[in-house]
Parts: sequence; structure tokens; C-alpha cells
Amino acid sequence: MDVPDTLTTRRALLGSVGTVLAGGGVVYAAPHLESESSEATVPRTPASSSGGGAGGANATNDSNGNGTGASLDTGFHYSTETAGFDIDLASHPVMGAMDAPVDIYYWTDYQCPFCKRFEHGAFPKLVENQIREGTVRLVFIQFPYLSEGSMTAAVMDRCVWREVRESTPGRYRRWHGAVFDAQGEKGSGWASKENLLELTRGVEGIDAAAVEAKMDEHRSDIEASIKADRTYAAQELGVGGTPAFVLYNRGNGKAGKVTGAQPYERFDEAITRVKNA
Amino acid sequence: MNERVERHVEGFLAALGYPLTSTPRMLLAAGIAVCTYILLVLSTFPSYSAQMLAAGVGYLDDAVLALTANTYATIGTVGLALVVAYAVATGVALTTALGRVRHGSASGASGASSVLPGLLASGCASCGAGVLGLLGFAGALATLPFHGNLLRLGGLLLLGVYLARVGDPRRCSVSPTGGSA
Repeated sequence: MDVPDTLTTRRALLGSVGTVLAGGGVVYAAPHLESESSEATVPRTPASSSGGGAGGANATNDSNGNGTGASLDTGFHYSTETAGFDIDLASHPVMGAMDAPVDIYYWTDYQCPFCKRFEHGAFPKLVENQIREGTVRLVFIQFPYLSEGSMTAAVMDRCVWREVRESTPGRYRRWHGAVFDAQGEKGSGWASKENLLELTRGVEGIDAAAVEAKMDEHRSDIEASIKADRTYAAQELGVGGTPAFVLYNRGNGKAGKVTGAQPYERFDEAITRVKNA
Repeated sequence: MNERVERHVEGFLAALGYPLTSTPRMLLAAGIAVCTYILLVLSTFPSYSAQMLAAGVGYLDDAVLALTANTYATIGTVGLALVVAYAVATGVALTTALGRVRHGSASGASGASSVLPGLLASGCASCGAGVLGLLGFAGALATLPFHGNLLRLGGLLLLGVYLARVGDPRRCSVSPTGGSA
């Protein structure tokens, strides 16, 4: 058979170099993309995890679930009310004004790198533009599914919340942010109980010994509750991965869903749509 | 035995070199590889990708970059390298399969029968590379040993075997027993 085209040295070289450059470029650039996404954030608000925490100046303790009327309040609240989709707020930190027209239910896993991307990307803008303005109330819900460490972190999250929710709920965000800042490779052991307790000791205003005691005493109950929440979210709301968000108009019950660490503009559009629905 | 292995290695190298035999073939293979990589990366989080793309094609680069970073953070350098290698191998395999259609039809071979093994090899191998995510089994991949990297490696080997058998589609080799390969 006639072979019109031949593999010339120049083409072979070009192809090989091109392949190596393109493939190597993707593999080499990926970790840098990750670190860029972690660092290239808007300046953290005073309510940030590394700062004084949302509770520093603004946190309120509204255990009745009623708004304190502070539309500029970006603090955390402990509430016993039931939110949209029968979500029981008693177990979950609530951030923002209690009379905000839109709820965002945020399912997360501390071992999820995409959640970290959201925490360092769209989240600070969401706090600044929507939560601080009183448009949105954000509810943090654990959805541990990646490995054993995910459940350990989720249980400790609940214990930290139980520890601070009644007197200093805003301190929760310091811990929450500190855990995401310390996020390591999935399953590498960074989210072991010992490591997380060590991290907790370093978070100002959180009593690590009390958190440990709560964990020892209530771990199995909390795990059962988290698993029930996870099953409900997966089966009834179609949450299949993290981060996942359901936006809920508290006035008329209309809802929308945002999946993954999308840019802030996408959240802004979705919030406007649900609010005006 | 050694002769057989040698023949397959030669076939594999010939298939790998085939896209480099002309500029259009090279561009075709590169285009397929890039499209495959984008598809595989987007398939790691299908609902996110669907929402981003539904919002506008302008979000494609955002989605690809974010999911590349996420894929690296989830399955590591080896996993990402396997996905890249799979995309490149698919580019070569499909270019070779199309070459078989072109050259096969000239020699009387059926187009479908010559391209089908290539498509099957690419399709089956892609299960490990990411298409499982499209079918809703992304979580299952995460629970597999080495985060599914073994499955990815298996898929890549399958593509390698296909390429070794196909060789350069412009050439017909005759085996010692008289059958053509």
C-alpha cells in the first residue's frame, strides 16, 4: 500500500514536545490553580475566621429564633425554629439576619476541596453583599461523605456549635474557617480527632476540653443525626456532592439550587431570581 | 511469544506515531484530546458543569480550571496525569480509527467494523477516567482503592491494547499463520 505521509523527525519531535508540554502543563498547573483559588480572595471581613469572628461585635444570641431586627447583622444565631424543607435549625449554625427574605441551606464537607474553594472564593462576597445587607440567611449543614475524617470533623462541628451557640455563637465561624484553612489531602489523617482538637485549642474563644467532652459523650447520637440529615438531603433534595446550596424564598416557598463552587455572580443571580420569584 | 510481544510493541508505537504523519492528523488528534480532557474534567462534577454551561459558554474556562484544580486536589498528581494520558490516548485512538475507515474502505473493509473497536475501547476505558461521574457514580469512584486510579490505569491499558493491535492503519500486516491483522 502506498504511504503518502511519513513520520518525519520534525513532526515526531513537534508532537512529542507538544504532548509533553500540554499534559505536563495541566498536571503542573493544577496545584497552582488550587493555591491561587485559595489565596486570590477578597479581603476577609471582620467577621472572617482568621479575624475576630462574626460573633466578635455582631453576634447575637437569639434562641427564640426571632430576628433581632438588625438588618446589618452578619452574626450567628441559635434558633429552634424549623426552616424551609423541614430543616431543623436547632442543630445548625445560622448566619445573617433572622428576618432575611431568602434562606440558603449550605451542605458541606470539611474534606471537600471544592468547599474550600467556595469558602475562599464566593463566600466572603456573599457575606459582604447579601448576608450583611440582610437579604440572605445562611444555614450551615454538614454532609460528610468523603472519608472517615469527614464524619469526625462533622461531629466536632456540631460539638463546637453546641459549645458556643447559646452564649457566643459567632465564635463558630472562627473554628469553621480555621478547619478549612487547615484542610489537607482527603484521608491523610489531618481530620483525625486528635488533630482537630489540637486545631481547636488554637482557636481563640473555643474551649477545646469542653468540645472533647461533648464529643466523647454524644458522638454516636450526633453521628446518627448527621447521617439522617445526609440521607434526607440526598433523597429528598437531590444533594449528591458538596458544596451544594438550596436557595429558599421564605415568603412564598419558591426555591432554587446552586451546585458546586460557582463564582459569586452566579449566586447573586440565583438569589435575585429566588427573591423575585 | 517474544515475537508476538515485539509485534504488539511495534504496533503500539506505529499507532502512536500515526497522528504525527501529517499536520491535519496531528491537529485532529490534538483536538480530540483537548475535547476529551474537557469532557472528562467536566464529568467529575456533572451538575456543577451543567449549571455553569447553562449560564453561558463564557463560564466554560472557569469550570474547566476549577474542576482541574479540584481533580488534582481529589485524586492527586498521578490521577490527573492518568486523565491527561487518557485524553491523549483517546485522541490517538480515534484518529487511528478514522484512519482505518479511510484506508479500510479503500481495501474493502467495512467502515463500521473498523471503527467500532476503537470507539468501544475509548468508551470502556472512559469509565475509569470520568464518565462514571456522568452516570452518577462519581462517589463510587472516590471510594475505590487509590481513588479510582487503578480503574483509570485499567482503562488506559485497554486503550493501549487497542492501539497495539491496530498499529498504523495505512499498513496491512500478515501474520505467520496467514491471517491479516
